[in-house]
Amino acid sequence: MIMLEEFTNLVYNIPIIMSPEVIQNEHLLEHCDEVIDEIYTRCSQNAPNFGVSLEWFRESLHRTVRKYLFSGSTNPLTVSDVQNFLRELQADDLFLALACSSGSERAWWEFDQNHRAYLERVARHLASSETNAQDVVDTVYVELYGTRVIDGARVSKFSTYSGRGSLRGWLRTVVWHSLVDLHRTSHDEVSLDEMTENVGEGYAQASFAEPSLDGEVEMIDQLTRDRYRKTTLNAIENAFGDLDNHEKLLLLYYHVENLKLREIAKLVEVPTSPLRDWFQRKSAQRESNPNMKIHESTVMRWLEKTYGKVLKNFRAKLLTQNGLKEEEIEICLEIATQDLASPNLYRKLITT
Amino acid sequence: MISKGQLNAEEIKIQGLLDRFLRVRSANSNFNNNHLDEDSLAAFVEGKINEKESPNIIQHLVDCSFCLHVTGELAKLHMAFEADEVVVANPSKEPMKFSEVLSGIMSKIFGTNDAAVFAHEEKEEETEKESDEDKKVF
Repeated sequence: MIMLEEFTNLVYNIPIIMSPEVIQNEHLLEHCDEVIDEIYTRCSQNAPNFGVSLEWFRESLHRTVRKYLFSGSTNPLTVSDVQNFLRELQADDLFLALACSSGSERAWWEFDQNHRAYLERVARHLASSETNAQDVVDTVYVELYGTRVIDGARVSKFSTYSGRGSLRGWLRTVVWHSLVDLHRTSHDEVSLDEMTENVGEGYAQASFAEPSLDGEVEMIDQLTRDRYRKTTLNAIENAFGDLDNHEKLLLLYYHVENLKLREIAKLVEVPTSPLRDWFQRKSAQRESNPNMKIHESTVMRWLEKTYGKVLKNFRAKLLTQNGLKEEEIEICLEIATQDLASPNLYRKLITT
Repeated sequence: MISKGQLNAEEIKIQGLLDRFLRVRSANSNFNNNHLDEDSLAAFVEGKINEKESPNIIQHLVDCSFCLHVTGELAKLHMAFEADEVVVANPSKEPMKFSEVLSGIMSKIFGTNDAAVFAHEEKEEETEKESDEDKKVF
């Protein structure tokens, strides 16, 4: 995986050290010229006046292959893997982006015709006012054109588009980030991280309430309760930690980001989606119909399975690691349920 | 949350506990400056990062509340514009010099050129107003 700073270096031709994964697969690119020529011919026919050379296009595709396929892959790759990857790229979008980055008038005209109205709709959807929306669209245009000059060459933001996702998906992300920057600028330079952090803190504290202990609860000694609380928290932390990353991510989208089931279903609707791939890895139905639609009910089943796994892990931790008895596990769950009205208890415990 | 009818009593309890734990974990997580770039974020949200390419990205999203939040917001945005993905060119106009377009934008931002005013003419597309106020993030 290439992070923001490293990718910037790549785009701006600043030499970087290639990772071992990239180096060991580099020779595979030598066997992909034919596929690249084929893609280039198609793109050139679709947009003959863009002025993108084959060499430039090839180098851009190589960068994308290195960035996603070589850097991300832990298993050995084949020539066929690389060729399939190249065929999956949004080549026409990349062709347009490359031409725009070089300042082709024709390409910019095409971009303006096909995408400007869309950019404006996205900006209006996100922004709090028409003025903000228009400011963001203007700012994005300037960024896309590029105002910085490095080694005599203007650096266009289009250079950072790889063709892995669609150009419109990339544009949505650029607009989103520009709006965040605009918001930050208009709020006394609060950093993005601080802003997000504050949102998170605010959310966590919004539902804090002091516990109201009834008579039955008061019968249990406070120290014992605290001990059970801490044990419970450790167990849930470990139970979550034992999940596969795909399961963790599903839970985080649902519980932390508050994505609705249909929004998660949309996120995983593409057959190549890694979450879908993992959750359906044993599905016979998927074998027979890999393009079948993912419904909300499917996502719900994935969540239910994951809750079941967390519960199993949770009980196992308390039984084996903490040596609790079944009735004590019930007490732990009971206390945790009562404490949900007072989540600050967990907040304190998690930081200790 | 998933309704009670679909989970047993213990699973409901663990769901509630997990919900609280994850929110507190997220609020307490540390941020660093090493985030996913826009290209990776967009490709992930569109499901274009396949299983072979994804392990490091998924690991990062589990660990980084900021990038998790960005992908969550982008997923909602992706869904909101689901029906808006078809590229429809407007064939009616002659190509204009992009330098003129850019000059207009620059003058609006920096106030350097009084004469350059960018007049875009896609009124019919602009009438499609997004009215869902609660979707506005800022």
